[in-house]
Amino acid sequence: MAAASGDSEGGEVGGVYQHHAQRAVCASRAKYREGRRPRAVKVYTINLESRYLLIQGVPALGVMKELVELFALYGTIEEYNPLDDYPAEEFTEVYLIKFQKIQSARVAKRKLDERSFFGSLLHVCYAPEFETVQETREKLQDRRKYIAKVTNCRDQFQVKKQNLNAYFQKTFQPDAPGFHTSEVATNNWNLPAHICDPGQSPCYKLSLNNAASASEECYQNTLSAPQYASDCAETSAYCSQRTLMPQSAQHGIQSILAHHNLQRELASDSGVSRFMPRTTQLQERKRRREEGNKFALIGKDTDNTEIMIGPRLPEPPKIDMDDESLNTSASLIRNKLKEVTLPVQVPELSGEMSLNIPTKPTVKQRRRI
Amino acid sequence: MLAMPYPERSIMSQKQQDLLGLGRLEYLQALVTEFQVTESSEAKEQVLANLANFAYDPKNYDYLRQLKVLDLFLDMLTEDNDTLVEFALGGLCNLCLDKVNKDYILEADGVAAVINCLSCSNEETVVSAVTTLMYLTTPQSRQQITALPVVECMLRFSLSANRRLSNLATIFLEDYCSPLQVEEARNLTKHTALGIPLPKN
Repeated sequence: MAAASGDSEGGEVGGVYQHHAQRAVCASRAKYREGRRPRAVKVYTINLESRYLLIQGVPALGVMKELVELFALYGTIEEYNPLDDYPAEEFTEVYLIKFQKIQSARVAKRKLDERSFFGSLLHVCYAPEFETVQETREKLQDRRKYIAKVTNCRDQFQVKKQNLNAYFQKTFQPDAPGFHTSEVATNNWNLPAHICDPGQSPCYKLSLNNAASASEECYQNTLSAPQYASDCAETSAYCSQRTLMPQSAQHGIQSILAHHNLQRELASDSGVSRFMPRTTQLQERKRRREEGNKFALIGKDTDNTEIMIGPRLPEPPKIDMDDESLNTSASLIRNKLKEVTLPVQVPELSGEMSLNIPTKPTVKQRRRI
Repeated sequence: MLAMPYPERSIMSQKQQDLLGLGRLEYLQALVTEFQVTESSEAKEQVLANLANFAYDPKNYDYLRQLKVLDLFLDMLTEDNDTLVEFALGGLCNLCLDKVNKDYILEADGVAAVINCLSCSNEETVVSAVTTLMYLTTPQSRQQITALPVVECMLRFSLSANRRLSNLATIFLEDYCSPLQVEEARNLTKHTALGIPLPKN
């Protein structure tokens, strides 16, 4: 079975592949199809991508360390080595770098291709021919999982929300008298989440199990990032502390709502992993800072020493940022700020939201109108 | 963590958007229109490549279905121009994992069209074809996809010195075919000297 003989000149590792040859930049694109950077006409598929990057045009100056450091900026590098046998232009070397994750390779390729490095232009391309069968298999599987996740995620997090609702109603029902109202409030509040059809998503059973399991486990399951977990644990501790207080009718409602809110958002947050570009992160940070200042100001404006009791008016609607994920992070931050900024920055404000109530029992209560 | 959305490649630049003041759907519509009306085969190739790259990002699937881009890709598979075939199959490979798209392609008998591309001489086309066939495999389509001639072809590919192709063919044989099917194809190959030609590199 000599089927393979003579059919591909570049087959051996170290040979030259057609897809590595840099294609001519396309100069005849219609105006509206012009990109930010001049590019050749090429279609990318998962077959062309790889965790392996081939770097051509590295000046032969003994700069491997610098090269690897440069690439390491974009993710963990698993392996790297010079390809001595790979045909290269005079005075240049060719290197192979294997990233741990394909996403790192994607970003590194995009950022470093055509980049000047010690006076020479790097040519970076994917090198899938260095993959083992198993690595190729995993790459194809990852793409499969990614598509499944993205195309199913809407159903998924709706179901998660629903289960969490059930879970919280169950958990908080039995206690103090104030919880009667709280339950109603929670119910009303969550109506939109019940629209979805639970039978459709494959993760339904799984989520049910989650809901039935012990609370901490549930948090662990529904949360993706560790800082969220700590946030949440904090809130739940906070919440249970509240429920023990005798005058806690309305606090109970609030904290449950807050807690619940947080949970819902966390759930949807873990549903999709979103790529957030750096510019967005910076904007977010700036906004967070401004928000912080605003909260501090509000705190001073409403500065009084009275404690308000009675049902709370619905809060003004939050700013809609036109994006579920952004809204999620925004209200996560809002909730966190409520906890953090008020007690610290305006300690004299007993605040409906702060934890200081038990320490100031002397203040007269006044019914909210 | 799995792969994240793929930035930039399939997202039109601000400049492009500003140029026409278009939303995503309108932009894609403009591409499809240009593809249909242009006389220039160069422009056709460029636009098809554009569309195929847009097909990589699941965010665009709704639009692409709306604009019947799946039919467009499928039609192009029988073109004479190798580049058009390569790009169209790349597009199909990019979007065929989505359940709705997959059903659509299977319904339109895309499997037969993709199998035909296995005999192309263009490496990218063949590689996309193998992956697309794996991604299109369902209990219903399995029989057609793992038909004897296809398995035989994969057997030959798996011996290719082209590592990308041999890896994919090996996965196809190991994960999508039964040992019996492979054995059967192996016996067949022993008797025939000629098979489907391998792609040139």
